[in-house]
Amino acid sequence: MINMRRMAKRSEPYVFGAIVLLCLLIQVQSKQFFTGNNLVDLARSMIVPALFSIGAMMVIVSGGIDVSFPAIASLAMYATDRILLNVNYSGNVMLAYAMAAGFGLAMGAVNALLIGVLRLPTLVVTLGTSSLFTGIMQGALAASESPVPPSILAHGKEKLFTATNTQLGLTSDMPSQILILLGALLLVFLLLRYTMLGRGIYAIGGDEAAARRAGFNVVGVKVFIYCFVGAMAGVTGMVRASMMMNAHPTNLLGMEMTVIAAVVLGGTRVTGGLGTLTGTMLGVALMIILSNSLILIGIPTYWTRVFTGAVIIIGTGVTAWQAGGSGRRLASSGTGL
Amino acid sequence: MSDNILKVENIKKSFGGVEALKGVSLEIRKGEIHCLAGENGCGKSTLIKIVSGVYEADEGSIELDGKSFSRMSPMDAIARGVQVIYQDFSVFPNLTVMENLALNMELMAERKLVSYKRIRAIASEALAKLGVDLDLEERVENLSVANRQLIAICRALLHDAKLVIMDEPTTALTKREVKALFAIIKRLQAEGISILFVSHKLDEVFEISERYTIFRNGQNVATGETSGLDRKAFVRYMTGREFSEESYRPAKQGEVVLAAKNLSLTGAFKDLSFELRAGEILGITGLLGSGRTELVQTLFGIYKPDSGEVQVRGKRVRIRGVKSAIRMGIGYVPADRLTEGLFLPQSIVRNIVVSKLDRLSGLFGVLKGKAIGAEVEKWVRELSIATNDPSLPVQTLSGGNQQKVVLARWLANDLSVLILNGPTVGVDIGSKYDIHALLRSLAERGLAIIVISDDLPEVLACTSRILVMRGGGIAEVLDPASTTEQRLGEISTGVA
Amino acid sequence: MKKGLVKLLALLLVLAVATPLVAQVGKSSKPSKDWKIALVPKDSTNAWFVRMEVGVKQYAKDTGLNAFQKGPAKTDAAMQAQVIQDLIAQGVDAICVVPVDPAALEPVLGEALKKGIVVVTHEASFQENTMYDIEAFNNADYGAFIMDNLAKAMGQKGLYTTMVGHVTNASHNEWADGGVAHQKATYPGMTLLAAEPRVESEDNLEKAYERAKELFKKYPNLKGIMGTSSKDAPGVARAIEEMGLKGKVFVSGTGLPNENKTFLKDGTLAAATLWDPKDAGYALCSLATKILKGEPIADGLNLKLKGYESMHFAPGSKKVLLGSGWIVIDKKNVDSFGF
Repeated sequence: MINMRRMAKRSEPYVFGAIVLLCLLIQVQSKQFFTGNNLVDLARSMIVPALFSIGAMMVIVSGGIDVSFPAIASLAMYATDRILLNVNYSGNVMLAYAMAAGFGLAMGAVNALLIGVLRLPTLVVTLGTSSLFTGIMQGALAASESPVPPSILAHGKEKLFTATNTQLGLTSDMPSQILILLGALLLVFLLLRYTMLGRGIYAIGGDEAAARRAGFNVVGVKVFIYCFVGAMAGVTGMVRASMMMNAHPTNLLGMEMTVIAAVVLGGTRVTGGLGTLTGTMLGVALMIILSNSLILIGIPTYWTRVFTGAVIIIGTGVTAWQAGGSGRRLASSGTGL
Repeated sequence: MSDNILKVENIKKSFGGVEALKGVSLEIRKGEIHCLAGENGCGKSTLIKIVSGVYEADEGSIELDGKSFSRMSPMDAIARGVQVIYQDFSVFPNLTVMENLALNMELMAERKLVSYKRIRAIASEALAKLGVDLDLEERVENLSVANRQLIAICRALLHDAKLVIMDEPTTALTKREVKALFAIIKRLQAEGISILFVSHKLDEVFEISERYTIFRNGQNVATGETSGLDRKAFVRYMTGREFSEESYRPAKQGEVVLAAKNLSLTGAFKDLSFELRAGEILGITGLLGSGRTELVQTLFGIYKPDSGEVQVRGKRVRIRGVKSAIRMGIGYVPADRLTEGLFLPQSIVRNIVVSKLDRLSGLFGVLKGKAIGAEVEKWVRELSIATNDPSLPVQTLSGGNQQKVVLARWLANDLSVLILNGPTVGVDIGSKYDIHALLRSLAERGLAIIVISDDLPEVLACTSRILVMRGGGIAEVLDPASTTEQRLGEISTGVA
Repeated sequence: MKKGLVKLLALLLVLAVATPLVAQVGKSSKPSKDWKIALVPKDSTNAWFVRMEVGVKQYAKDTGLNAFQKGPAKTDAAMQAQVIQDLIAQGVDAICVVPVDPAALEPVLGEALKKGIVVVTHEASFQENTMYDIEAFNNADYGAFIMDNLAKAMGQKGLYTTMVGHVTNASHNEWADGGVAHQKATYPGMTLLAAEPRVESEDNLEKAYERAKELFKKYPNLKGIMGTSSKDAPGVARAIEEMGLKGKVFVSGTGLPNENKTFLKDGTLAAATLWDPKDAGYALCSLATKILKGEPIADGLNLKLKGYESMHFAPGSKKVLLGSGWIVIDKKNVDSFGF
């Protein structure tokens, strides 16, 4: 009973409901939604945004906002790719991931220094570093599309399984990179729920002064968040490059808005303190299903932006309305003793 | 071992050349409830921060539970049993009750991993200490203010607290919640815990504490047994001034300036009738939801009554809105003077004349600078607003003086009725008495005043007649000289 | 003051009238070694425009003139306008532009012309504020050429649709329109998918791939996709390969040799069509120089470059110059380009 009441206050059930409705709409319109290969296609499209959204959620929960992750991902991926090409690398792909993570971590450390130690506002800092990292890519590396080393190319062709659509005989491959997403989800789930560091992220997002008084190392937690998120972005960049089998320096840029919208849709509170991985994944799923089903629903290309915009406004509006509702509850809450 | 849990002597502390503490001392005995009182800015908060290790004193000695410290860190303070309940409670609104209770302990134990089993156990233990029952899984932001405070207290007790410092703990609480809090404080005392209760509310000090210390301007003014202290002395120590405590009597029976006849507003009040005479101060009290605020807002034209009539100087009038109320000589000072009444960044001058601009401007609406200057000067003098430059923004004034600016604005409109809602909320004791004295002198000059207040001593002290409202009707009309706080409370709650 | 203004206006009027006749506008009084000729691509990281820069550098080397390329960090109309603004401030003598969104650049290019800077464009046949627009070819003809390749692969029959970078991209849409018109006139056995006649790939390989998969699921009868953006063909080819549709569904379109090598070799992609961006870059600089020198620009213009030796004005236009610079890349010649 009590749990039902608590569930009704959360946004996950609403997002889930919206996804179910959308899926049914697509199914009715195309008869193609609940087919093995369509579901695999959607899972594949989710990998990169979902990886980004995990980091974005952590930052927002801690009371910040990060718009630099696409730039970090692009530069980390691109620098790794170029170095490996230059040395004619043909060894294990793990080294590529480790290098990209390392570059990402280094760039995250710049954010961490400015935000955690110098206490500058997160939006300003990440807008600045985003521009900086993109600039380094253009200027210092004179980045342009480039191929990937053979081992990464092979990694990009790996598949876990192939799903077949019995109706049409179409097949879709599940890329092995989905394992990286699942691993990241598990890791971050454990981190956020079962470590004091993870609880510290929530505590800081709830009330930074209280967190300091309670004995959390606020600076340390912030430094960790931005370094960790930077490293994750680096890995995500490499995931994208290997899945596309090509290192494109700019096509991740601009993704931050979609990702942040998905995180907020998933019920993460914009002012910090609240957010779950489940909600975030649901938010990403909603955005990805939407953007990959407009043709299936039968919406002409000219109207897709109107449709997507409407869904985002309604979705985030509902989330915000709920937050307002809890505020009103608070104001009128009576005596408790 | 001494009998004192805390003994500080001759503490001095300066911030950038400004002396916040000029050598204060404080002794708290084991198991006593000690009240530290003083007006805003007297140095109370600075001393708390020194005692809890947040600030370091420039000079002086600290002895905690028999151990002397020259330098003390927050961890030292906690280890010696000092716990502070901050005014904001320092809780995490987004986390659950059990995490709020247990996280500090887990951090102290330098744990790296979280065990919800352990957290639940710690939280249950904490709540059991006070016999409180709360849903451990509920998020703290969904709890009432009083329950958040309980969490802060329970959390403090987990650390083997020997001295619990409560900084203005009753600020956001209702009367009932304050009672419950006092019961808890007594209970802590019974367990041998000392309480340092920081407050400037005189009734609370008398009700709860055994001994008191009063600061003024960073210095000790008085300390001793609360039983040997009376209200007058308390106020004198706090403010350094004397105030009379007699209730107000109008010199003569004035004419009826405002009357309500069978006035009703759906959902707020029903069938209300009363008269207000020139020269009297009518107090209206009652619980939140008794309809008192809606009543005066109706008289001021904010709401339209469903039935009944309002008379001004014997003539039936229809108040169509705020402007029409002001034209009839009715003024209203809302409860939250900061957010409702003033344009804080604007100058004192503008704030005083804002509602009278049409009368201070000449042809084509050009303002008459000289006339405005004279008007403002008159009110600054008459109300003794503490400023030497009326062109400064209002927000540079203290709370009490801001309140006076609001009054000046209304008085500038040649009112016959002035309604004040909670006129001294958030104002310190000295300014409070100043405002009361001001109201009296205004009434003596023939103004009819209505004061709405929760503060029963204030209602008793400054009004000449009291109207107690309950459930949208008038429960009783009383003479302040022949009634008591207790009686007022009983009538408003309907216990009598 | 006023007199001067009147004189200036009169002069401008005379020049405006005289332009098509003498083509002297833009002639520079500076010695040619001081000229600065800038080429602004859509996106300086895109391989296509990296190749274009090769042409610009080649031109600088061949002529000894100061010609260089400078573009925005990503495909973004506002950033491109900013780059041009900066170039105007630096006092360049000629600006060659490949606009992201021609309409968005009108004000800034207008400003450049007002300052006496030579402005020429590429792939922007409706640009107002430009002296000349070079097209490697007639857009409709190029679209028809892509269609020929698709029709050949499809056996001249079946359902098809078109893909563009953005529905607002002028050239892509002109190619697609040209292709559709050519199909209607020449290949009666083929039909355009009425429900989705034009889809967007956002010039993004991943998106082209995702959209193609959706199309194949929703419209099982679809037999071909005519791509326009250089990302369309390789993206669609990947979807065809993964979904097991090789030999059943076909794609043709613009494409770079390197990006399409695998698909061309294994037959998923029959042929990619292309014009060499290197040549376009070279031709743009060459045209700008001619204007700076004050040479007449007339029908049959020779920019001394293969495909651009005899350029003609588009029918009814005195601005748009067409070449015949397209090439076909297939299994056989794909390795011969080096980009």
